[in-house]
Amino acid sequence: MIFADIIFIIIILITLAGALMTVMYGSIIYALIGLVTTMFGIAGLYIYLNAPFLAMMQILIYVGAITVLIAFVIMVIGPLHKKPKEWTYPLKLIIAAIVALFSFFMFAKVVLKAKWTVLSTPFAVTTKDIGRLLFDRLTFPFELISLLIVVAIIGAVMLSLCSRGEK
Amino acid sequence: MTGMGLYNSLNIYLFVGLALLACGILGVIYRRTLVSMLISIELIMNGAGLNLVAFNRFIAPDKAYGMTFTLFIMGIAAAEAAIALAIIILIFRKYRHVEGAQLKEMKD
Repeated sequence: MIFADIIFIIIILITLAGALMTVMYGSIIYALIGLVTTMFGIAGLYIYLNAPFLAMMQILIYVGAITVLIAFVIMVIGPLHKKPKEWTYPLKLIIAAIVALFSFFMFAKVVLKAKWTVLSTPFAVTTKDIGRLLFDRLTFPFELISLLIVVAIIGAVMLSLCSRGEK
Repeated sequence: MTGMGLYNSLNIYLFVGLALLACGILGVIYRRTLVSMLISIELIMNGAGLNLVAFNRFIAPDKAYGMTFTLFIMGIAAAEAAIALAIIILIFRKYRHVEGAQLKEMKD
């Protein structure tokens, strides 16, 4: 039990350090590495939440697809650390920190105040249940997601074709 | 609580999701380039997904609605990233930079 707690705390620290690295690093490629770290941490938290299928999907989709997409775009737009400065004036950091801390403490107050009725029944949802729900009760949103992805692909292709036509 | 151990309390997962939300808001306001803003938005979406799975685990443990919604969030994030990156490449071809504060004109 103690061992599991130690691993859990390490995973949480990895997640938070990755998030801070994503926000605070000057170069975009380091921020992207921080995002990858955060994704792996969240996948570990999903495993602690008894959802190994979601953990695998997190690693496959976020680390395998979205991060590689962003890396390709960073390759296209070039090394941004040669530009003068990624950072602006420090007043902007102070304002952003005020907004972020305000939202953090406001929602923290809500979380600490609310009385969640945590059920004591054992958690027995498996991947089979997710698939059954996806194709039984939530079929229409599932099809809508596939339609949305097709529209997004066609939109991305059309955007690149239009810009080439302008040249 | 549904058992012993630190990982069996709901509030820890909620606070991790909340920290991800705060980092995402900080990044969206503070970062200058559009790609960094997109990365910060991904952080916010991950915080929301973590919250949904935690609620599904502790509040409603008999159905899998929260996990299914997290899968939907992943699909929407993928589509959003594809469209946003296409627009970013378009902006880079036209203006030769991707800084959000300098995109003042939306004409032609």
